[in-house]
Amino acid sequence: MNVLEARSIHKRYGGLAALEDVTLTVAKGQFVAVIGPNGAGKSTLLNVLTGLAMPDEGQVLLDGQTITRMATNRRIRAGLGRTFQHGRVFARLNVLENVMTGAAIRGDLNEAGLRDAAMEIIEQMGLADVAFDAIDSLSYGRRRMVELARALACRPHVLLLDEPAAGLNSGEVDQLIERLTALRATHGLAIVLIEHNMGMVMRLAERIFVLNFGCRIAEGTPAEIQADPAVLSAYLGEGYVHAGV
Amino acid sequence: MADFIQLLVNGLAIGSVYALAAIGFVIVYSATGVVNFAAGQFVMFGTFAGVVTLINAQLPWSVAYGAALAIMALFGALFFITVYLPLRRGSIVTIIIGTVAVGIIMQNAALLSFGSWPFRLPSPLEDRVVNLGGAIISTHALGVVGVTALMVAGLWVLFNRTSVGIGMRAVAQDLQAAKLMGLKVNRLLALSWVLAAVLAGVAGLMLGPMWFADVNMGDPIALKAFAATIIGGFGSLPGAIVGGLFVGLSEVLGASYVSSAYKDLISFGIMILFLLVRPQGVFGEKIQDRG
Amino acid sequence: MAMRAPLAIAAAILVLGGLVASVLPEYYLRLFNLSAISAVAVIGLNFAFGYAGLISLGHAAFVGMGAYGLAILTTAWGWSPWLAMPAAIVATAALAVLIGYPLLRLRGHYLALATLGLNVSFYIVTSNWIGLTGGTNGIARIPELAIGSLALSGEHRFLCVALVTLAVVAALAAMLHASRHGREMMAVRDDEIASEMIGIDVTRVKITAFVLSAICAAIAGCLFALHVRFVAPEDFTYAHSITYLAMLIVGGEGTIVGAILGAILLTFLPEWLRFLGTTYLLFFGLLMLCILVFLPTGLVGLGRRLRLRSRRTPPPASVGVPEMTS
Repeated sequence: MNVLEARSIHKRYGGLAALEDVTLTVAKGQFVAVIGPNGAGKSTLLNVLTGLAMPDEGQVLLDGQTITRMATNRRIRAGLGRTFQHGRVFARLNVLENVMTGAAIRGDLNEAGLRDAAMEIIEQMGLADVAFDAIDSLSYGRRRMVELARALACRPHVLLLDEPAAGLNSGEVDQLIERLTALRATHGLAIVLIEHNMGMVMRLAERIFVLNFGCRIAEGTPAEIQADPAVLSAYLGEGYVHAGV
Repeated sequence: MADFIQLLVNGLAIGSVYALAAIGFVIVYSATGVVNFAAGQFVMFGTFAGVVTLINAQLPWSVAYGAALAIMALFGALFFITVYLPLRRGSIVTIIIGTVAVGIIMQNAALLSFGSWPFRLPSPLEDRVVNLGGAIISTHALGVVGVTALMVAGLWVLFNRTSVGIGMRAVAQDLQAAKLMGLKVNRLLALSWVLAAVLAGVAGLMLGPMWFADVNMGDPIALKAFAATIIGGFGSLPGAIVGGLFVGLSEVLGASYVSSAYKDLISFGIMILFLLVRPQGVFGEKIQDRG
Repeated sequence: MAMRAPLAIAAAILVLGGLVASVLPEYYLRLFNLSAISAVAVIGLNFAFGYAGLISLGHAAFVGMGAYGLAILTTAWGWSPWLAMPAAIVATAALAVLIGYPLLRLRGHYLALATLGLNVSFYIVTSNWIGLTGGTNGIARIPELAIGSLALSGEHRFLCVALVTLAVVAALAAMLHASRHGREMMAVRDDEIASEMIGIDVTRVKITAFVLSAICAAIAGCLFALHVRFVAPEDFTYAHSITYLAMLIVGGEGTIVGAILGAILLTFLPEWLRFLGTTYLLFFGLLMLCILVFLPTGLVGLGRRLRLRSRRTPPPASVGVPEMTS
């Protein structure tokens, strides 16, 4: 059984078909990437999966259960997680408090327990030195780490990441790849990564879905995708294969 | 039937005044994003500008009206400089309380200048009435409706046929893009406030003869203007007109046919109903994440 | 650790309040009582607005519901104030739930105008439903608060009640602030979508904040009715709602200390300005405007800035940028 599934999703905004008959499957513990040019529908797909947008047709399933019209917060409590394209953190709370609000999803912890659970993740993410700092004192890259830490504090078993590398400098990207590699090895955590950074995608993904103009134009392993003519003409460009990973 | 026609005309007349106040409110909101809680006091200032030029200075009609509107235009510019510019980076609540504070200042400035006794503002149409099929209708009320229609037409021309008006619409839709297009954004924003003040001035000058010129008249007008914009649609000019007329009619007809005491509750009740069921009003755009 | 801040606040209120009360002349004691009552209401408003970001211009309506509830129960039904208070508070809370569900789907100035409409409607109803509320004549001869045979009359004795109530409410608010529920409210204010995305039921959080604010308002309303012993529609207009909001902003939104300071300042300021004669309201408005322009984080923010002189931190920037298509 797939842990997350989008079946024949159609989503229109007025006359524009943002998603046209898109099907995506994620197996347990799998690392999947969704790539495609800007405007291809990737964020829309994430919005449909997380309940910020309702599809016109099609279904979304989590662990085999239909969640197409389920409220977002209930999906999260069922094990879904997500980060946003520009990083959405709570500006008035400090780093620790941000992560604690994520951990609070677990009703069995008291205040001290929440603190400990949050600190554990903060340490894993290399944020221990800024745990009590205000969000606005952090660099953009570290803020996105806080967002990721907060999402992980919810203990999802499917994590959706919307362009986590966007806006990061090369040092921060390396750190991100490190984290994602560690997460990839986490037992039972499936990851769906939307990214433009092809190096990261080809290195981490087991399976890649390619979207263009709202349609799925290819699906396969990194090697298959790099050789796919449709993908090359739409997105990667001929020069990519020769440039290597 | 005669009674009904009388009420209808009165309702439309009051509604026209509310519509003008609402239009000014909408112009400022669309262009600057500010919900002007002193909108009612603007109308009150318009009425008292009339008191100054008509009663105190005893100027002839056209000169007096022109001077009163000039005063209002100046006030609008002053407001832009001393209130809008300092406050505009604040949060919504800061602006709300800020404009409320300005309203308090305006009301008390008027109180200190004119005292608390109401004035009777005269109308060039005096107390003349016409007889329409048995209904006695004040010519002033008809004049109000006519003037409002003319102003609305003028505004349409301004916003659709002049570069200034189109510039104001551009600023209202997308401030950044307007700046990038080289539009003199600050000038257009200031113009929005000036225009709103002038419209409030016209509303005040027309309202004076119908009610009284009273320093406390601002708040009830503001509430009706808000109800009008909610019902009509928050960012919409046609909405402000429709909303204003609707509120005026429901007030007058409601007082007669339903209950005089609860007549205001009717307008607010409908406003709240719209907020709950159709917050974008009759004409407004669908609000997703407004505010 | 969890109890330190709440107990400190409660103790500070009782000690400082007692000290001030012992030196103030009778006339100012009355104002001090009114400040304490307003402070209870503003702490409530802090839940709704300071934490959860709900712009409520109808807070005075809930104060009025508590006040009228107590007034009607004690005068028309002959209840003891000690019974009438919890009843009025519960009734107000229930109304807040009913009103909250439809109203809280709105945001920003739509919510502001809807709550304004609520307050205006409350005024119209209380002014005209003469059978229940006495109309514009109000309800008089509300009984005194008494413990057995000891009547809590006079400003000094009432102040004990007011200060104790304020101390308890402030302490509970401080407990909430440091808890997951307080953080949830602040998260919802900062970013509703991000809150949903970590499993927070945003609707439930908003309603809770709204109801909590209504409960505090009702408590303040009951205290007001028992202090002044007379309620009328003019005591609960939208102007009062705006005053409560101004108290919170001036004191420092999002803080309990700010709520109390703002309540005290804006209750005493009209008095201090009274020497200006008929122009005092004008200067009050001017002062409000200046504070908003020059001191947007309120008195508490000013205190913070002065203390952090050496380590300058820039004001918090919003990270909630609208999503782009991908």
